[in-house]
Amino acid sequence: MTTDRVAGIGLALFGAVILEESWRSRLPLGSVAMPGPAYVPAVLAVALLVSGAIIAAQGAGAPRLGAVGWQEWRHAAAIIGVCAFMALAFERLGYRLTVAIACVLLLSLVERKAAASALIFAASMAFGTYYLFDTLLRVQLPRGPFGF
Amino acid sequence: MRHCFAVLLLLALVAPMASAQEAYPSRPISLVAPFPPGGVADLTARPVAAAMEKVLKNPVGVVNKTGAAGAVGMQYVAASKPDGYTLLLALSSISIIPEADKIFDRPPAFTVDQFAPIALISADPTILVVPADKPWKTAKEFIEDARKRPGQISFSSSGIYGTLHMAMELLSHAAGIKLRHIPTPGAGPALTAILGGHVDALASGPAVVLPHIKSGKLRALAGWGDKRVAALPDVPTFKELGYPDAEFYIWAGVFAPKGTPEPILAKLRETLRTAVAEPDFKAAMDKLETPIAFKQGEEFQKFFDADGKRLAAGVRKVGKVEDKK
Amino acid sequence: MVETLGNLAAGFSVALSPPILFYAFVGCVIGTLVGVLPGVGPLAGISLLLPATFGLDATRAIVMLAGIYYGAMYGGSTTSILMRIPGEAASVMTCIDGYAMARKGRGGAALSIAAVGSYIAGTVSIVGLMLLAPPLAAFALRFGPPEYTALYVLGLLVLAYMSSGSMLKSLAMAALGLLLGMIGIDQMTGYFRYAYGVVELGDGLGVVPVAVGLFGIAEILATAGQPTPPTVIKPKLRELLPSRQEWREANWPIWRGTVLGFFIGILPGSAHIISSFVSYAVEKRVSRRPEEFGHGAVAGVAGPESANNSATSGAMVPMLALGVPSGPIPAVMLAAIMVHGVAPGPLLIQQQPALFWGFIASMYVGNVMLLILNLPLVGLFVNILRVPYPYLYPAILVFATLGVYAVNNSVVDVWIMLATGVLGWILRKLDFETAPVVLGVVLAPLLELSLRQSLAMSDGRYGIFVQRPIAATLLAVGAALVLLNLYAVARRSVDWRAKMALAEKGEAP
Repeated sequence: MTTDRVAGIGLALFGAVILEESWRSRLPLGSVAMPGPAYVPAVLAVALLVSGAIIAAQGAGAPRLGAVGWQEWRHAAAIIGVCAFMALAFERLGYRLTVAIACVLLLSLVERKAAASALIFAASMAFGTYYLFDTLLRVQLPRGPFGF
Repeated sequence: MRHCFAVLLLLALVAPMASAQEAYPSRPISLVAPFPPGGVADLTARPVAAAMEKVLKNPVGVVNKTGAAGAVGMQYVAASKPDGYTLLLALSSISIIPEADKIFDRPPAFTVDQFAPIALISADPTILVVPADKPWKTAKEFIEDARKRPGQISFSSSGIYGTLHMAMELLSHAAGIKLRHIPTPGAGPALTAILGGHVDALASGPAVVLPHIKSGKLRALAGWGDKRVAALPDVPTFKELGYPDAEFYIWAGVFAPKGTPEPILAKLRETLRTAVAEPDFKAAMDKLETPIAFKQGEEFQKFFDADGKRLAAGVRKVGKVEDKK
Repeated sequence: MVETLGNLAAGFSVALSPPILFYAFVGCVIGTLVGVLPGVGPLAGISLLLPATFGLDATRAIVMLAGIYYGAMYGGSTTSILMRIPGEAASVMTCIDGYAMARKGRGGAALSIAAVGSYIAGTVSIVGLMLLAPPLAAFALRFGPPEYTALYVLGLLVLAYMSSGSMLKSLAMAALGLLLGMIGIDQMTGYFRYAYGVVELGDGLGVVPVAVGLFGIAEILATAGQPTPPTVIKPKLRELLPSRQEWREANWPIWRGTVLGFFIGILPGSAHIISSFVSYAVEKRVSRRPEEFGHGAVAGVAGPESANNSATSGAMVPMLALGVPSGPIPAVMLAAIMVHGVAPGPLLIQQQPALFWGFIASMYVGNVMLLILNLPLVGLFVNILRVPYPYLYPAILVFATLGVYAVNNSVVDVWIMLATGVLGWILRKLDFETAPVVLGVVLAPLLELSLRQSLAMSDGRYGIFVQRPIAATLLAVGAALVLLNLYAVARRSVDWRAKMALAEKGEAP
């Protein structure tokens, strides 16, 4: 299970999925003279499939999957989680509240910093950037149910 | 002690009454412009918002929600709360997009009945321009040539099923000709294409092409309007030339989500009526070379319905481009 | 010539008047700010400030907006170099070698070279704008769909030069990027491709979320959890400026980048990011030490940074000479002057000499202001690296999310950024380069559309590409490059075989 094998198989699979999708949603293929909406994607998907397959086939010499070092995966997963929370809450809770919560989560839970510094950082980030962008630069940032 | 109680009781009784009669508007209103900044919808939306703000004495802000030729912004307003705080400045494409969705068997992003029309602000007829070095001097010559060589004369547009495309399609069906369509990703690239001589014709709003007509690079042949364009008095309309079905306007109007209470709608109508009479607004629209064509209530509904029917029929006639091959 | 100098002098008298100077300065500061913040790019900045310009007169409005535009190109390199997070889409290429230089302790040098390169490119390209605007615009108009197709095919060849690793992997990444660029409404037929009912995907993924995600978020995901935090580099004042050697290495790339960026910028529809990609590829090709690229080559910073600045002036050529926007940013600038009653068009330069020459002069002044703003700030910015990473990256995440959201007021963009961030992280782990993906996302819709437009124009005949002189020339250049490369590869393998043969002969008694 080397990195190249995994990557190659992943890419080839993606290409195959695209081909299947185009077929399923009946995107017209057209012809060489008049390519339809599915033509160029099909060509690219085939190219991806072929190159993915070749990479996987030649992948014996690459480092093993485990050897690459995935220690940070928990950290990364946490960051992804917080970002996903931000995306979900942005328009529901409003900008300032979302950013404040996200910063607190990142600093106190993920980075294990003291609660006080986390709160100060979160508050200054949320309100400071809001002031800079909403008031000074007039970006419309969403306000939540509390007018926040 | 009893005094305090009485006062508190009084306040408690009065407070909900006060909030129930909360006057509209009491919060900033968003006027959604579904096109990118600098485009026709955006440039029309800003003077409208500014004028409304003056009349209502309440902030009215323009919010750009762009994407999918306007579908994103329109869908957003259709789905928003009908409380009068989210309005839409739509172009004629509002009638086109649901029809296009139908053709592709897609669930429509929104439907026209999800909106309550408030007023029409401007209605620019499109005009037909060709590069100055082409041999056609009148619309008649152009149409005759197109009949002789079906599918050979090319035109650019701002996108498939877009306003500039539909205008040409209406003409093609009215005059019985077949033209070759070269879609481009917007009105700007469509103009570049004709200026570079890569296509033979373009249906465009007058304001954008006026400088090029004046400088001699483009020639205007005819217009899609009811009347001749004020800045081009020598250019006939297709109606005059015998093609009354070739009528198309790039219009901009204000809509609210359906279900907005009638008193709020009435107030908005009145606001807009006063707003378009404001001298500042008139001056702003003059600078944009867009004539104000204010219609509201019954008149606007009639215009909107007729225009919508025309466009829907046009889209259905075009059908799926792929099927024609 | 004399007339031009006279006009220019009049322009300077307008540009140096206090109100114009003030608005140019405001524009430059906001531009730098907008450029430094990851995710927020010049288009967002200009669109947001457009309403604020309605109260000014046309000259002030356009001067301020232009300041934001080229100011962002100065600021965009800052986070790219210091944190490998693109400040705005065109600075993606600077991330690669700029960050490598920062890792080696030459961050200040990289920032200075970027600033000076931007200044030279900005100033020299204005000369081109000033003297050659009308004929250049006429030339640019001759680029129709077949010419663009040929140009973008050349752009694809550029991908081949971007890889420092395996060619096959880069091709796979390019195919992936091109495929991701296919998402959205098909311009030719109206079909929604791979959008699955999400209306916001109608215009495609968008280069800003993808660039910020693949480079910025992926960088944070990879670095934040490392047991040893990235070494905080504390540069000394002396080390902030580039050495003599580094200046020498930056010289030619700056000039090449300027010319290249300017010509690519003139073409309506070409994105800035293409100019920096092409410059990077050219520098790598011409360099005597191509193996340095990816590990801190000065040319890899100087070239792309100069290219994206001169592309800014190039983009203004069609805008001023013809009244035709060459992209969304000039379109907003045109709107700003239209609102004040100034009709953009071919007669603009003649009818509004005060506006045109005042604008040109204020661009010279603006570039000087930006150089003065940015060089001392190098010391300040480099100190950002001292902030402990656990505090730094949440701030970056907030700015990136905010910036990406602000472009379209759309949360879908934030999701795209997150998804491409995860993708970028995994790709890095598996030793794939992510730059070709960004180029693919940008190039795919452009290439496909112009190809199909060309075929629609010619009724399905591929001959149109060789019948039109400019397209034929570009394709010939591309073919020549490919042949040269194949020849070099063949020679190397022939040499290798010859060496093997000699070795065998030598060993056999």
